[in-house]
Amino acid sequence: MTRRILDHPILGKIEDKNYVSFTFNHKVYKGLENESLAAALLANGIRTLRHHEESGSPRGFYCNIGHCYECRVSVDGQQGIRACLTPLKEGMIAESSGQLQTSSKEDGGLENE
Amino acid sequence: MKEDEMIICRCEEVSYEELETAAAKYKCSARELKLRTRAGMGYCGGRSCRTMVDKIAAASANDQNRTCVSLKYQPPIRPISFENLGRGR
Amino acid sequence: MNNTIIIGSGPAGLTAAVTCAENGVDVVVIDEYMIAGGRLLGQLYEEPNGSWWNGIKESTTLYEKAINLGVKFHFNTAVNNIEQSNGLWVVYTEKDTFYTSNLLLATGAAESPVPVPGWTLPGVMSVGAAQVMTNVQRVKPGERGVIIGVNVLSAVIAMELQLAGVEIACLTLPKRNRITMKAGDPRKVLDSLLHVSHMAPSPFVRYGSKLMKNDFMKKLGVNFYPKKGVKMWDIPIQLRKAVTKIYGEDEVEGVTLATINADGEVVSGSEEHIPVDFVCIAGGLYPLAELAAVAGCPFYLVEELGGYVPLHNERMETPLEGLYVAGNITGIEGAKVAAAQGTTAGLSMAHRSGIKGLDNTINDSIKMTEQTRNSAPIQFHPEIEVGRKKILQQWEAYQSTKRESICY
Repeated sequence: MTRRILDHPILGKIEDKNYVSFTFNHKVYKGLENESLAAALLANGIRTLRHHEESGSPRGFYCNIGHCYECRVSVDGQQGIRACLTPLKEGMIAESSGQLQTSSKEDGGLENE
Repeated sequence: MKEDEMIICRCEEVSYEELETAAAKYKCSARELKLRTRAGMGYCGGRSCRTMVDKIAAASANDQNRTCVSLKYQPPIRPISFENLGRGR
Repeated sequence: MNNTIIIGSGPAGLTAAVTCAENGVDVVVIDEYMIAGGRLLGQLYEEPNGSWWNGIKESTTLYEKAINLGVKFHFNTAVNNIEQSNGLWVVYTEKDTFYTSNLLLATGAAESPVPVPGWTLPGVMSVGAAQVMTNVQRVKPGERGVIIGVNVLSAVIAMELQLAGVEIACLTLPKRNRITMKAGDPRKVLDSLLHVSHMAPSPFVRYGSKLMKNDFMKKLGVNFYPKKGVKMWDIPIQLRKAVTKIYGEDEVEGVTLATINADGEVVSGSEEHIPVDFVCIAGGLYPLAELAAVAGCPFYLVEELGGYVPLHNERMETPLEGLYVAGNITGIEGAKVAAAQGTTAGLSMAHRSGIKGLDNTINDSIKMTEQTRNSAPIQFHPEIEVGRKKILQQWEAYQSTKRESICY
């Protein structure tokens, strides 16, 4: 299980007192205030943050510093937010974006413009 | 998964085989390769796959020795939400 | 309307901000990350004198210095475009639009991946991502992982992960193909490792009190490709193996590791499964220069600097009036060189803002950058000085063409 590094031989201890509650896909989790949403989810054992819009393949964070946009989720109703750059706050509501059902050509949906 | 099916562009899910096939057929520049396959044209703006697509194009194209360029990047370099588009302009 | 805006709060941007503010120039710093420090944040290695280079501490010190000097910061703010208009630079962000006379691009570097089948699975991340997760966010990227790609950066980060109690099953190569090329060729990888051994940076040599220079590197060279690999701080380095596939149903469950011959070709039937819960991809860094590109700055491909770099001189000026660059956007080097370049850029911008008597200081700062480069404990590219010369020659050539075109 993925865990926090509370004590580090060189970097020392971290404060783990300011826990806040947040939800991801309607389930409640706890994380440290102001850590990144991606880190909070990983500390809770969650790696899959979204599914590819077309193929539905599962994706997690890749670059962790905002370059790749693989960790984009919706946060408090706003879409396309990078979990790796989002400081965790009390009551935050995060949801993963999923496969867009209508985008499949086989289903007679919209083709890429 | 076979190597051919390996994804190069994660955003648009463009495979190694698709890029290799297009590069072999058109012997084109990296920019043209991107326009033909959509590699690098997705959400991240090619930040993740640019160097890989460049390598595939350079291996097939004729103009390998070009060192001076004006790089083709289109703003915005980060996606803008519709809500914010046009604000403050 | 601002006097100076700096995009990027890594070692170059922060140092430039402090330098400007010290010279009485007002500064705004914009960064899309949550806190100041950039790639400096994740860095952790032992200096040749035995002390530890702690990136978080370094970042905090610089940030607090800047704050005390009145520098304003906008975090979580992504710049999506810049343009020159009526002698000013316009900086567009999702939230606001800024106007400034001087603009410094200190946007650093991005990682270039080596692709492996299955690398889109959750649990696969860039090696820099694992570094930030471990040292900055203090969450283990996993319990046991494999690092694909053997180079200076991945070796240093492997050590950092181990220090934090994360098990690294091995550092190994990607399967050779037309993208991985040199990174999948055992001879080329070995050459590049031996090339940096003369510097024997502390993380290579000191950790675990084993003298790598005399032990690790010799073993690599003499017993060419020992069957079980070579261990560095108890982490196996496999130069004769390559990952052919990352497998897992919905997340990483393991990698398929195959033996390769000296040319990097897979020996069929040699595949074995290594169970891991995360995988790092380490293909090196390239200058992240997209904003210089949208501004219309000319670029040169300089392999020694890590890719396409915007044209600039030693004063960190670009050919575009009022536009400056510093740090990894100008070529891949360590944080100390980036900071030295930041000082020069800060001084150049202060000079352009009308602060008098800075010429000698600027020249000293340029010399200091060179000294820092020469004494750097970690160098990402062995031919960095060749690369620096190349871009300066291009600058001269560009200036003389410009002079000619003005004459006619």
